[in-house]
Amino acid sequence: MHFVIISGAARTQSKSNTAKIIAAFCEGLQNGGNTSKIWYLSDRKQWKSAKIAFEENENILFALPLYVENVPGIMLEFLACLSAKERPGSRISFLLQGGFPEVSQGRCCEEFLKTLPAQLGCGYGGTFIKGDMFGLSLMGEKMEAKLLQPFIEIGRQFGENGAFRRETIEAFSIPEYLSEEQIRISNGPLRYVQRFAMRYFARRLGCKTKLDAKPFCEKELQETQEETI
Amino acid sequence: MRLLIINTLPKVHPAAEKAICCLTEKASECMTFYTEDMRITPCIGCNACWLKTPGICAVKDDYEQILKAYLQYDVTLFISDTALGFINYKMKHVIDRILPMATMYTRIENGQTRHVPRYNKEFRFGLLYAGKGNQDYLAHWMSRFCLNFHGISLGAFPIEAWEEVCACIS
Repeated sequence: MHFVIISGAARTQSKSNTAKIIAAFCEGLQNGGNTSKIWYLSDRKQWKSAKIAFEENENILFALPLYVENVPGIMLEFLACLSAKERPGSRISFLLQGGFPEVSQGRCCEEFLKTLPAQLGCGYGGTFIKGDMFGLSLMGEKMEAKLLQPFIEIGRQFGENGAFRRETIEAFSIPEYLSEEQIRISNGPLRYVQRFAMRYFARRLGCKTKLDAKPFCEKELQETQEETI
Repeated sequence: MRLLIINTLPKVHPAAEKAICCLTEKASECMTFYTEDMRITPCIGCNACWLKTPGICAVKDDYEQILKAYLQYDVTLFISDTALGFINYKMKHVIDRILPMATMYTRIENGQTRHVPRYNKEFRFGLLYAGKGNQDYLAHWMSRFCLNFHGISLGAFPIEAWEEVCACIS
């Protein structure tokens, strides 16, 4: 099968976590003997050809990051310029990734995504949600490869019939919520480790203030300018 | 009650004009942003507002005045057109840019991870929409959006039902 993959990420392709996930996913598609072509909506020059590809192809996958409980504004803008297909036979699936670890954080967006294929004259191939992806670009090549590895298998399984199977979702789209023990650890010692790591990454990026700075409070602005991390 | 209105509908929109006029009278102080007069570009997902210049958006356009206004007013009311049953992209661009109001830090509250708020303020957000919006979904989305920004949702209402919002803000 041939798949049209449209990235709804706002971040440019070279810095996009979604793009990295798509690359691993496509490796899996290819391992199963499928072909794919990817368009990135962060590059507006690609919109015209992405629209044509949507119109002319039957197997469409949107890959996107969760943005304020729904799709990123640029993807919504792109969707608004599409017309509903008149000829039956097309199917749209979604690969949704987010920074929070719980899959449940993506359910509100999923509810919206489910409505889109019918509005665009297509069938629905399911939504695959994966959390804990924020650190993908920050944690180094080894950890990045580990985090991306499952997407190769997810892509291979998706390529078998062009839709997300329930078994794939049950195996990889986890956890729905954190366990009590995970919550206890996250709100306990891990919280300090997380803060230390974030301050480290921030400093590497050139950050010169506290990560919880309040720049629009005059008093805080003064304090944070004096204090460095 | 100090009211902030962010209107992404055209200035000449009879229902929006009426709603804004009546809501302005009800509020002790009201500020309205008409985004058609402003340059607001989409969030580029650079994370600078979390990791590089905390609280400050790297995109330099007209958005920063809205960011400051969120902190200065008691209630923010979004007025938006709809598409595909949801708010349209113009309003989503505005709302996507709210990220600097949260910090990069997270903690778990009521079983789900949340960003730690940047400011000590309980936001109150409401939505008035024009067109064929899915009211149940929009109300659900507003409540989720508010939950992650430590705010309270006043709900989502068709623009003709602006009086419902009055009841929430008085």
